[in-house]
Amino acid sequence: RVAITAGNIDNGYFEGLVRGFRSGILRRTDYHNLVECETIDDLKLHLQGTDYGPLLANDPAPIIVQTIDERLKERLVHEFTHIRNQCFQPLALFLDYMTYGYMIDNIILLITGTLRNRPIAELLPRCHPLGQFEELSTISIAQTPAELFNCVMVDTPLAPFFSECVSDENDLDEMNIEILRNKLYKAYLEDFYSFCEKLGGVTAEVMCPILAFEADRRAITITINSFRTDLLKDDIENLFPKCGRLYPEGLKFLKNAEDKDEVRRILERYGNYGHLFAGVGDGPNDKTLEDRFFEEEVKLCMLAFEQQFHFGVFYAFVKLKEQENRNIVWIAECIAQKNKAKIESYIPIF
Amino acid sequence: MGSGDKINVFPSRMNLTAMKTRLKGAQKGHSLLKKKSDALTLKFRATLKKIIDNKTVMGNVMKAVYFSLAEAAYSAGDISQTVIQNADKAQNKIKFTKDNVAGVQLTNFTMHSEGGDVYQLTGLGRGGTTVTKCKETAQKALNLLVELASLQTSFITLDEAIKVTNRRVNGIEYVIIPRLENTIAYVIEELDERDREEFYRLKKVQDKKKEMKAKKEKLLEELAGREAIKNADAPMNILETEHDPDIMF
Repeated sequence: RVAITAGNIDNGYFEGLVRGFRSGILRRTDYHNLVECETIDDLKLHLQGTDYGPLLANDPAPIIVQTIDERLKERLVHEFTHIRNQCFQPLALFLDYMTYGYMIDNIILLITGTLRNRPIAELLPRCHPLGQFEELSTISIAQTPAELFNCVMVDTPLAPFFSECVSDENDLDEMNIEILRNKLYKAYLEDFYSFCEKLGGVTAEVMCPILAFEADRRAITITINSFRTDLLKDDIENLFPKCGRLYPEGLKFLKNAEDKDEVRRILERYGNYGHLFAGVGDGPNDKTLEDRFFEEEVKLCMLAFEQQFHFGVFYAFVKLKEQENRNIVWIAECIAQKNKAKIESYIPIF
Repeated sequence: MGSGDKINVFPSRMNLTAMKTRLKGAQKGHSLLKKKSDALTLKFRATLKKIIDNKTVMGNVMKAVYFSLAEAAYSAGDISQTVIQNADKAQNKIKFTKDNVAGVQLTNFTMHSEGGDVYQLTGLGRGGTTVTKCKETAQKALNLLVELASLQTSFITLDEAIKVTNRRVNGIEYVIIPRLENTIAYVIEELDERDREEFYRLKKVQDKKKEMKAKKEKLLEELAGREAIKNADAPMNILETEHDPDIMF
C-alpha cells in the first residue's frame, strides 16, 4: 500500500517527469498540420515546432520513413531508461515488468535466427532496445530451444514464464515459434496482473482494467486470426490469458467460435465489449477491429493520468508514446507513398 | 555492289541450268523467310501489348503492396525481422518451359508454390489480418512479376530473331537474287554470242567452199575445152599431163 505522501518521496520526481512528457504529446491541431503536409520535409518542419524539436535535425535530406521510425523509438527508449535508471523499488520492478514484453520478442527473434544458423552479431542490433538483458548475447550457445532454456533462460526474469509454458523441455523443440511467443506473452500478462494486484491501491485500480483489456484483446485477436490457420481449438485455448473480463465463460465460447459474427455475438454477451464493434467492417471507410482496440487502449491510458500517485502513469505514458509513434510513422508513410486515402486512420490522443 | 555484280562462272549451258535452279531456290527461301519474319513480328506486337498492360497494372499493384506493408507495420509492429529470420526454403519456385514460335525458342516462366505457409501464424497475437492482407497482395504482385519476366525475355529473344531474319530477307532480296539474275543474264548473253560466232564462222566457211568450187569448175571447163581438140576419149595419162588439178570434195 503506497500512501500519498510516502509515494511522493520516492516517486514524485518521476511522476512529474512523466506528466511533463505526456504534455508533449501531439494535439489534434498538430496532427492536422502533419496530415496537410505534402512531403516528408514539410513533416520534419512541422515536427520541429512541436515538443519533438530537433528530432530529425541531424539526418540529411531526403529523409526516409524508416529514419523517422528509428528516431522516435530512440527518443522513447531514452526517456524510459532515464526514469528506469534512477528510480527506486518497487517502481523499478514495475518498469522492469513493462520491459518483459519486449524481452519476449527479442528472445523469439534470437531463437528463430539461431535455428536458421544466422550469426548472432547480425541479430543483436535488431533486438528492441527496451528488451535488453545481460544474457541476451549468450543465446547463441544454445542449439535448440531446450538447451536455451536450461543454459540461458533459467537465470533471467523470464524463467517462470518458460516453466509455465512447457512441462517438458522437449516440447520446446517441437513447438512452433509463434505459439511459443504467444504462450510466453500469456504467462507474462498473467504475472504482471497479479503483481499489480499485490501492489494494491490506486495502482491496482488503474492497471488491472488496462491489463484485463489487454488480455481480452489478445484472446479476441488470436481467435479471429486463427480462423485461417490449422490451429487446434485446445491449442488456441492455451494461448488465452486468464486475467481478463472474458475469463472463464467468454474464453470457452471464444475458443469454439467459427467466424467473426459469432465472435461479435459472444462479445456482446460477455465482458461488455459490444461497443468495440461499432463502425467496424471490411469496407474502405470502415474501421478495423484493430483500430478499435487501439482506440480503447488510448482511452484507458488517458484515464490513467486522471489519478495521481500511482505507477499506472508510467505504463500509460509508454503505451501512448508508442501509439503516437505509430501515428506519425503512418502519416509519414501515406505522404511518402502519395496515398492519402487512409491518412486519417491514425488514432488521435488528445 | 552494282547491277554488274555477278558470280564468275564459265558460261556453259550446264552452268546456266545450275544458276536457274539456284535462283528458284533463292526465291523460295526468300518467301519462306518473309513468312517467318511476319509470324515473328505478329507475336512481337502481341507480346508488346501484353507487356504494356502488365506494367500498367503492376504500377498500381506495387503501390498497393507497399501500402499494405505500411498498414501491417502499423497494426502488428515491425514484422520484418520475424519474416526475414524465418525464411528457410523457397516457397515459390519457378519452372522454365520452352515455347516454339516459327522456329524461335521462347522461354516461359511458370510459378508454383511449394510447401505450407511458413508465415501462417505471424501476427497471431497482434495485427494478423493486416499481415494476411499484405501476404496476399505481395503474392499477387509476385505472380505479375513472374509473368512480366516471361514476357520481357520473349520480347528480347523475338527482337533478336526478327532482326536476324529481316537481315537475311533483305540480303536475299537485294543481293543474292540480283546477283544470280545478273549471272544468268551474262551466261545467256555469252551463249548467244557464241552461237552467233559459230553461225558466222559456218557461214564464212560455206562461202569459201562455194568460191573454191566455182573456181574449180571454171578451170575444168577451160581444160576440157583444150583437150577436146586433142584426144577427147583418151583417158587422162598422169605421166603426160603436167597440170593435175586437185580433187575437191
